[in-house]
Amino acid sequence: MLSIDLYYDWDAFHAHYQTSLAPGMTTLLGASGEGKSTLLHLLGGFLQGRGRVSFQGQALEHLLPYERPISTLFQSDNLFPQLTVWQNVAVGIAPSLSLQAEQKAKVSWALKQTQLSDKADQYPQALSGGQAQRVAIARVLVREKPILLLDEPFSALDPALREEMLALVNDVTERFDMTTLLVSHMPSEAVFVGGKVMLIEKGKIMANEEASVLSGGQIPEVFSHYLRMTTAS
Amino acid sequence: MPGKGYHLATWFRLAPALLGLLVFVLVGAASLAALLRFSQFESWAGYLHNIYLWRVVRFSLWQALLSSVLSLLIAVPVASCLTHRQFKGRGVLLQLFAVSMVVPTIVAILGIVVVYGHSGWLHALFGVETPLYGLLGILLAHVFFNMPLAVRLLLQSYGLVPSGQWRLASQLGFSRWTAFRLIEWSYIKKALPGAFVLIFMLCFSSFSVVLSLGGGPKSSTLEVAIYQALRFDFDLNKASFLSLLQVSICSLVALMVYRFAPANQQDVSLLDARLYPLKDSIVARSGDCLAMALAVFLVIPPFLAIFDPIFSITFYQTLMAEATWQAVWVSLKIAIPAGLLSLFLGGCFGVLARTAMDRGRLAFLSSKIEQLGSMILMVPGLVLATGLFLWLRSIGLSPQSGYWVVVWVNAVMALPFVLRALMPVLYQQEKRFRNLYTSLGIHGANRLVIEWPLIRKSVSQAFGYAVLLSLGDMGVIALFGSQGLVSLPLYLFQLIGSYRLQEGSCIAVILICLCLLLFYLSVRFIGGKTHVKY
Repeated sequence: MLSIDLYYDWDAFHAHYQTSLAPGMTTLLGASGEGKSTLLHLLGGFLQGRGRVSFQGQALEHLLPYERPISTLFQSDNLFPQLTVWQNVAVGIAPSLSLQAEQKAKVSWALKQTQLSDKADQYPQALSGGQAQRVAIARVLVREKPILLLDEPFSALDPALREEMLALVNDVTERFDMTTLLVSHMPSEAVFVGGKVMLIEKGKIMANEEASVLSGGQIPEVFSHYLRMTTAS
Repeated sequence: MPGKGYHLATWFRLAPALLGLLVFVLVGAASLAALLRFSQFESWAGYLHNIYLWRVVRFSLWQALLSSVLSLLIAVPVASCLTHRQFKGRGVLLQLFAVSMVVPTIVAILGIVVVYGHSGWLHALFGVETPLYGLLGILLAHVFFNMPLAVRLLLQSYGLVPSGQWRLASQLGFSRWTAFRLIEWSYIKKALPGAFVLIFMLCFSSFSVVLSLGGGPKSSTLEVAIYQALRFDFDLNKASFLSLLQVSICSLVALMVYRFAPANQQDVSLLDARLYPLKDSIVARSGDCLAMALAVFLVIPPFLAIFDPIFSITFYQTLMAEATWQAVWVSLKIAIPAGLLSLFLGGCFGVLARTAMDRGRLAFLSSKIEQLGSMILMVPGLVLATGLFLWLRSIGLSPQSGYWVVVWVNAVMALPFVLRALMPVLYQQEKRFRNLYTSLGIHGANRLVIEWPLIRKSVSQAFGYAVLLSLGDMGVIALFGSQGLVSLPLYLFQLIGSYRLQEGSCIAVILICLCLLLFYLSVRFIGGKTHVKY
């Protein structure tokens, strides 16, 4: 269980995030500027807020980014362009890049899982957008952190590829019993991955429901306003 | 398409600018020709077997190599530390690094002599006797000037690292060493060759440092050998041979500069770059401490040392002395006309370059014009000055021509810096408004009038740099300085030479104040205080 009770103030923006996440997928919906990315940066330790956040009873708020049990897929810059695909995954195990035999085997396994085995020696610029994000997911696999945060990492991909990636994330979450938080501005993604869905407005989490409510006949009041806005645009 | 008449009119309007360019080229060519006229080429073969000469060449290269390697070796860890750590005084240190590059050379030399000299601070505090005069002194001074330059060049490439990479490094738990190996190195290794060549060239043609701290013929460079051939032997033949040798070696190095030169960028605002914490360790911390301590130890004491004798009586006696204010007057008399002349030449170059920009077959001219202005960096100022002096004498304009030679050469030497400040904004204006100007029929000086609020800031900086450089010049004035023509730097050089350091420090303080004052006045009155938005 990931429990969040965090405050963050920036100019006129006052956020108070209060919720808890169970293992499995959770999609965080919200229009841009409502504080979605801010939450992920707070959880990752890249921003300093107030309040507490704990995972399975362990307080995280005082930990440095690399001490937290978290892997993050950012919107961009998930790979080091100067490292090969293999090295980009390997830094997830050992930043020094000196790996033991079993660790090397693990990198190869992760690349196989993400269908990148034949790209191991290539550099990121030779990859397509989808392949690049798969490398980042391969790194998530070798890092074995129980929490996965995704900050719209697939928004630049075309719809078919996006669904493919979401399915991969879903699969990974299930198989490794991860707590995954996917930030998105597309309700359809929440429906696609299933699990839970949350709505964020002005730095507050307004709803936390089963994702299936979005596809059912009876859409809860809190979501209907947001859904009208996204379909209108 | 504009017709032929249009072209003619355009070129006619450019006449003043073309005239400026022509004067620049003709004076340069005449100087070179005058120098060559005094050369006896048949005797040059003899120089090739001159053992002393080859020792000078070898030493020039050797000290330049050591200086640039040392500067870079210190600069790399310092730049890395400045990027990753926040500490008290970091901002001040960055500012100091910026300042140490524009401090007049001779002032810094005074500081180094006060710290490391025979009765200097180091001797007084620790009883350490440093053999300052010779290679050690030259290296100390060169590292003092060039290590901060290298740090700033490296920080520019650190600025190119996307903050996403640091963020990722932070989450993946990179140590400082890992981050350096995997991220930083791949960025700075692109900047290192350019930085090396630039510093090598600056040190190779270094004059004041070697003249003041070389301490004799054992450690002399080509530039100093030229000076000695001219000043003491008046051996024009030898001087022109040495000059050609110097120019050839410099051109060779400059060719490499153009290949590797770091892009002309504005200063990075490292102060507000986002920092993400990396894994810290005792090794990383002590490495950083060591690098910073070394940098601080090399850069700060000479700065403070200048102000050491400020409370002595000699200081005030010097302040009241007539010779002091005579030197101030000479400095102003040189620096301000030189600054204006340099600005005028820069304007001519700029107008021509922007006119040629993006004009089909003429487009290549803009970069050529710019390079012509910068080419002067390859030619030693002394050589230029001597040639000019000989030419003026041959057409009967001696003997008062020394002053004008100094002004002209200072103006020309400052031209590359003027162009650097001026060109980007001129190009930008031309790009944005050329079509509008053409359709409205706004030409020539009218454009400058319209653009003035937008370009005055760059103009003020260009003028400021030019004046600053001329104020600090110690090369040409050393050759032509005479009883009535002693500028502040030359006076300071003479005082250091006779070990009158307290008087020297007074002159140094005056020189620094004068630099600050003129730069401030230029920015304030030419640059204006209103910030025009565009």
